[in-house]
Amino acid sequence: MNMNKVIRSFFIIFLLSASAFSFGQEKKHNYANTPDDMVPYGRFQKAYINFFDTPQPFTGAGREKPEPKDLKEVRIGFLGPLDSTALVPQGKMMLKGCELAIEQANQEGGYKGIPFKLMVHNDYGQWGAAANKVVEMYDEGVWAFLGSIDDINTHVALRATLKLEIPMVNSGDPDPTLCETRIPWMIHVISDDRQSCYALAEYIYKVKKHKRVAVMRVDNRYGRVGVKEFREAARRLDHPIVLEIRFLDGDTVFTKQIQRIKDVNPDAVLLWGNAEETARIVNELRASGVNVPIYGSDRMVNPIFLKIAGKNAEGIVTTCQYNPTADNPKLKKFRKEFYDRFGEEPDVFAAHAYDGMNIIIAAIRKAGLNRYKIRDVLTDLKTFQGYEGVTGKIIFDDAWNDIGSIYMAKIQNGDFIFFPSPLDTLISNK
Amino acid sequence: MYGATDYDAIKKAAGDMPVYGHWKSFTTENGLPADKAYCVRIDGDRVLVGTNHGLAVYEDGKWTNYTTKDGLGHNGVLAIDVSQLTGDVWLGTLGGLTRWSGGSFYTFTQLNSGMPNDVIYSVICDGKDVWVATGGGAGHYDTYKDQWEIYMERNAPMHEPWTYGVCAGDGKIWIAAWGGGVIEYNTKTKKFRDYTDPDEQMELDVFPDDGVVHDITTGVSYADGILWVATYFGVNRYDGVHWKTYFDKDSGLLSNFNNFNRAVGPVVYFCTDKGLSTFNGKTWISYQRNENNTGGKVLITNGPKLTDRVKTTSYNVHTSLSHNFVLGVDANEKEIWIATSHGVSRGERIK
Repeated sequence: MNMNKVIRSFFIIFLLSASAFSFGQEKKHNYANTPDDMVPYGRFQKAYINFFDTPQPFTGAGREKPEPKDLKEVRIGFLGPLDSTALVPQGKMMLKGCELAIEQANQEGGYKGIPFKLMVHNDYGQWGAAANKVVEMYDEGVWAFLGSIDDINTHVALRATLKLEIPMVNSGDPDPTLCETRIPWMIHVISDDRQSCYALAEYIYKVKKHKRVAVMRVDNRYGRVGVKEFREAARRLDHPIVLEIRFLDGDTVFTKQIQRIKDVNPDAVLLWGNAEETARIVNELRASGVNVPIYGSDRMVNPIFLKIAGKNAEGIVTTCQYNPTADNPKLKKFRKEFYDRFGEEPDVFAAHAYDGMNIIIAAIRKAGLNRYKIRDVLTDLKTFQGYEGVTGKIIFDDAWNDIGSIYMAKIQNGDFIFFPSPLDTLISNK
Repeated sequence: MYGATDYDAIKKAAGDMPVYGHWKSFTTENGLPADKAYCVRIDGDRVLVGTNHGLAVYEDGKWTNYTTKDGLGHNGVLAIDVSQLTGDVWLGTLGGLTRWSGGSFYTFTQLNSGMPNDVIYSVICDGKDVWVATGGGAGHYDTYKDQWEIYMERNAPMHEPWTYGVCAGDGKIWIAAWGGGVIEYNTKTKKFRDYTDPDEQMELDVFPDDGVVHDITTGVSYADGILWVATYFGVNRYDGVHWKTYFDKDSGLLSNFNNFNRAVGPVVYFCTDKGLSTFNGKTWISYQRNENNTGGKVLITNGPKLTDRVKTTSYNVHTSLSHNFVLGVDANEKEIWIATSHGVSRGERIK
């Protein structure tokens, strides 16, 4: 009898401690930290299958390949817009971030005394050229590559990457579907538009209490895929957007679109596009008497936007993938070194490329010269989980997407003021 | 010892499904130009294998290799098809579409033809027509007229010009459009229609059997009136009216990550990252190599979907695939060939 009591007591203690342990575990968040009220079909139906609950392993051969001998340089690829596209300024910044990382790594001895060499390729975006460029990098023998910015070209490159089995780090394309292709050869070191959209939806609908938002976006993949999550979040929050209207890169007159915006009488406008066009839209909106609050996408965080929009930019709130004014010693050091090297301030593309290239370099140093082992290190969700870069802490989810903090940027007195997004509070309260 | 092969028991459990065994594998040690094989095609008495170091041809028990020095567009050969009309071999390479005809090679590229892109993921011959899925859209080459047509987001219902697979049958062409589901082209009416994931979400599938499982499609193959679709998220069967979806969690499919598929008659072969799965709509038979020896397992699931009544039975076999990361497959009445991440394998059909 006494023995039974002892056993029963042990059993109860075991159950209690097991429960306590399980309660003490970190709660698994929704995919991509989606707020509960923005989960697709969340109100109606549990999904039959969730695809990104665990990382996709790469089970192919290749890890057994020996490291080559007598190499004179360790090649790392770069794919970015450097000529003949609207994204050249961003591409050049991305390249400079990479160059700085490579130069510093070589000052520290390269890879076992062998210098790293950046193999630079222009992503000019015509007829799937990015695929051909990845083949060129494969033929050149790069161990990994960083790129690109344009959504379409990056997808094209990613697909070729899978066939060629070259590790890829993306630091400049916020397309959320990149990681959702489930190709286990790429990591994303920049917050994507899914995070931007959730942050904007939280801010616009919950913090600012808007109800009738009109969206004006660029008519390309950046605009279409970029606003998708916002459009769906708005619907799930019971405030479906009242208008989604498009413009083209390079447009300078927006009269027809703005008339349609006036016709639907929104209480806020969300713009999604590059800095120059969105700044002109802001000017035309204000000139035509549309004085509701304006919100925008990350690419508006750009001196060009401030210059063109001038006073009309005051009060506009956007997202930004990092806080360039953060009190981060690494960031301060990077900004100084970048300025010393190039004579200009780094932008978001330079900073993220610097982090991305440093991650590639660290992965090569850890794994050795074997693409499969480099991939393994990049994707193990340990080596670089919580990586403290110049852009802040990088947190990867199971799809290797960066779900670390995203920031809001408000224009005040002609400059961007950065502050935490409401998503951070939401996640930390969970 | 990992168990005796009892093909009688396997055959009995397999029912109508073909069973393959007595596997023999080939790597660089046996004459292949590279261990990594992307694709394989049976062409009469010979077998064509696309590797990342050239084309390998197996004939009379010997391998003969061809590279860019012989005229290939690139040594990375991703896809192969043979024209039933002319016997020409069409090779989708990383550097253009190479035609092997009359003993000589000729390569179509973006610069010398109307082809959309030089990275050819898939090629299929449909009578006089050759179709390719490329990094810059789908291409159609009319060999009689010597003319190219390009299909991309501007003239077809694709979101973007990304194509990954192509197949033909019953007057239609199906394109696995990366990010755009499946595109169907009617060669008579010249009209398109698309099939996309009804829930429109990349991260989940709300309901199975409601359409293409995911918009990222990796392969399409049509035979016996059935369209089979491969994705990295599961696979589909489409009979023209109903879509059925199969996942590793509810069927005999070895993995949701499918590199390629090919249908031959009533049977479809799915190349997964965990082995080869075959299926005829009723019975699954999968082949998986053991981790620590050259033997393997044959897994039979008698029932399209797993339920409490349907279970998978595992049989140990002495020989198996060269590697479980399967990239290509072809089969006929006598044999099956598979291309893997590390070598190619030939399986004999067990009678």
